[in-house]
Amino acid sequence: MAAGTRPRRRRAGLSTHRSTFSWGRHPALLAFLVVLGFAVSGISGAVAYFLPAVTAALNVTGHGAGNSGGHATHPGALGTATPAAPGKPFTVLLMGSDNDTKFRPSSVLTQTMILVRVDPTTHHVVMLSIPRDLWVPLSRGGSAKIDTAYADGGAAEAIQTVENNFNVTINYWAWIGLGGLVGVVNQLGGVDLIAQMPILDVQYPYDLTGSNPYANQRISILPGPQRLDGVNALTYVRSRHGDILEDIARGQKQQELLVDLKDSVKQMNLADVPRIAGSLGNEVATSFGIGQIGAIASLAKDFSNGDVTQIVMLGKDYSSGTVGTESVLLPNWPAINALIAQNFPGS
Amino acid sequence: MSGRQLLAGLVTLGMMALFGYGVWAVLGTLQSRANHVVDPVQEQALLALPGTLYLAQNGSIYRLQGLHFSRLATPKGDWVQVAPGPGGDLLAVAQGQGYSNLYLLNSSGQEVRQLLQESSHQYFDNHFVFYPRVSANGKTLFYSWNWIDPYANYNVDYEVRSSPMADPGSSATDWSLPLYYQGGDVQPLPLSNGSLLYVKYFNSASGNGAEYSELAVVSSPGATPTYLTTPAQNCSEPALNPQGTEMAMICTNNQLQTSTLEVASWNGHSLGPLTELSPGPMAAAPTWSPDGKSLVFMDVPQRALPFQLYWIPKAASAKPGAVQPVTKNLSLTATSAPVWYG
Repeated sequence: MAAGTRPRRRRAGLSTHRSTFSWGRHPALLAFLVVLGFAVSGISGAVAYFLPAVTAALNVTGHGAGNSGGHATHPGALGTATPAAPGKPFTVLLMGSDNDTKFRPSSVLTQTMILVRVDPTTHHVVMLSIPRDLWVPLSRGGSAKIDTAYADGGAAEAIQTVENNFNVTINYWAWIGLGGLVGVVNQLGGVDLIAQMPILDVQYPYDLTGSNPYANQRISILPGPQRLDGVNALTYVRSRHGDILEDIARGQKQQELLVDLKDSVKQMNLADVPRIAGSLGNEVATSFGIGQIGAIASLAKDFSNGDVTQIVMLGKDYSSGTVGTESVLLPNWPAINALIAQNFPGS
Repeated sequence: MSGRQLLAGLVTLGMMALFGYGVWAVLGTLQSRANHVVDPVQEQALLALPGTLYLAQNGSIYRLQGLHFSRLATPKGDWVQVAPGPGGDLLAVAQGQGYSNLYLLNSSGQEVRQLLQESSHQYFDNHFVFYPRVSANGKTLFYSWNWIDPYANYNVDYEVRSSPMADPGSSATDWSLPLYYQGGDVQPLPLSNGSLLYVKYFNSASGNGAEYSELAVVSSPGATPTYLTTPAQNCSEPALNPQGTEMAMICTNNQLQTSTLEVASWNGHSLGPLTELSPGPMAAAPTWSPDGKSLVFMDVPQRALPFQLYWIPKAASAKPGAVQPVTKNLSLTATSAPVWYG
C-alpha cells in the first residue's frame, strides 16, 4: 500500500509542481513571447504581401550567362551582358516580341530592339531603335534579319549580334512580351501619352484575346494628349500598317511610350511593387538584378524629357532590298557607324 | 493551465493573427494614390464655372453645373466624344469594336436621333467617325471619317466630310484629301464665312521622320489648303471663341511628349503670333466660355497622373489670369473637348 502510494505522490508532486508554474511569475518571458509572436505574425503579413514580388523577381530578374532562372519558356534565359561599373554610363538592349499563340514560346522574333544609353552623371539618355528587318551577320554564323537572332539563340545571340554589328557593349538587357506590356501599363494605372498622329489600322492583329491568332481587327487611336490603358498603349506602339514609315515609325512610338512610362514609374512606391510584379507572369525577363532595378527607378526620377535623345534609322542608314524571297533593309554601315560613334561614345 | 489562462492565450494568438493580417492590409493601403480616380458624381468641382459644361470620362458623359457633376442618362454605349449640337443638344460619338456611330442627344443624354451608322456586318464597311461639329446655321454636319483605299486597304486615313444635318446618312461631301499613310485630317471647325478649318497630319518620311500636324483652312470642298501654323509648332485641337476673334490650340513646339496651350488672334484668314497660356505638360482639349472671355482645357497636374479640368480667366485679354484647377480626382477623356453652354 505504502509502496503503491509513493508513485502516486510523486506524480501528484509533479502535477503540483506544474500547476505551480504561473506566467504571472515570469512577466519578462511572457512579454518576450508575446512580442515575438506579434513580430512573427507581422513579418508573416509582410512576407505574404511581398511574396508575388519576390516570386516574380526570382522569375524575371537576374538572367545572366547560363542562368535559366527557372524561365525555360522563352529564350531570354540565356542572356549574356557585361554589367557596368556603378555610376558609369551603361547601355541596355530592350527587346519586345509578338509572343502570341502564333509562335512557339521558346522561339519568338524581336519586333522591337531599342538600344538605350544612360549616363547617370549627365542625366542624358539616348534611344536608338534598330529596324527588325535589318539584314545583318548573326553571331552564330550566316546572315538574316536581326529579329531572328533572339528566336535562334535567345538574349545571348541577340546581344552578341547587336554588339558585333553596332560595335557597342551591352551592359544589360530586358525582354517583354505583348501581355507583359499590357499588364505593366494597366498596373501603373495607364500611361499619359501624346499620340503624334491618328493611328488607324484595319488589319491589326486580334491575337491578345480570341481563339484565332491570325484574325484581324479595326483599331483607332486618336491624336494628341490622352491617357491610354494597356491594350491601347500596346496598339499605339504595335500598329504599323497605316504609317508610311511602317516599322520605323513604330520604333519612334515605342520610344515615346518609354519616355512616358518613365514618368509613370516615378509615381510608384515600394508598396506598388507586388501588384505590378504579379502582372508580369512569364512576359518579362531581364539581366537586371532587383537592386539594380531599384537603383534605376531611383535614377529615373532625376531625368526629364529634355534629357532624352530619340534616334530612328532613316533612309540614309539603309536601303530596301530583297534577299531570296525576303524583303529586307540592307544596312549602310558607314552611316550607322557614324550614328553610333556620335551617340554611344565609349561603347 | 486554468481556463482563464487558456482563454487569454487564445485571445493573444488571435490578436497576433489579426496583427499579421493588419500588416498585410496596411501595406496595401500604402500603394501609390497617384492614380486614384473617382466617378465625377462623387466629386465636387473646386470652383463654380458659369453655365453648364459637358465632359466625357470612362465611356460616360457628365454635366457640370456649379460645383456638381451628374451623369447623363445616355443610351448604353462607350461614349467617347461630346460636341456642341444645334439648339443646346449634344453631338456624341459612341465607339464600338472597330467602328463608331454618331448621335444627337438632348441635354439630358436621351437620344434624339442617330446621325451616322458606321457599324456593319461587312468588315470593310465599318468606319470610324469622330470630331463632329455643326455649322453656325445648324444645317451642315462636319466630321472626320476614315476613308479606305479600295486598292490598298492598309491605307485608311481620316478625311473631313460634311453631310446635311437633316439627313446625314443621305450624302457626304469630301472636304479634305488626306495624305496617304500619314494619319489624315481631323478636328474640323466650320467658320462663319463658309470656310473650313481642320488639322492635317504629316510624316516627313523623306526628312527626319518626324510626325506633326498643322492647322489648315480651305474655302471649299477639295480646295488646296492654306496652312496657319508651321511644322515646328506642331499644333492641333483648334477652338475659336464665339466672337470669332481668338483661336486657342494645342502645340508641342518640338518638345518630346509635351504640349502647351496657345492662343492667337484670328482675323478670319490668318493667325497672329502665338502666346502660351499654359506650359502643359500635356495640355489638351481647349474650349472657350460662352462669353468668349475665359477658357477651360484639360491637363495633368503632374506627368503620369490622370487628366483634370483647368480654367483660365480673361484668356482673351492681354493679361490672362492664372491657370486654376477645376477638378482634382477625375480621369477625363482628353480627346473630347468640353462643351460649354451658357
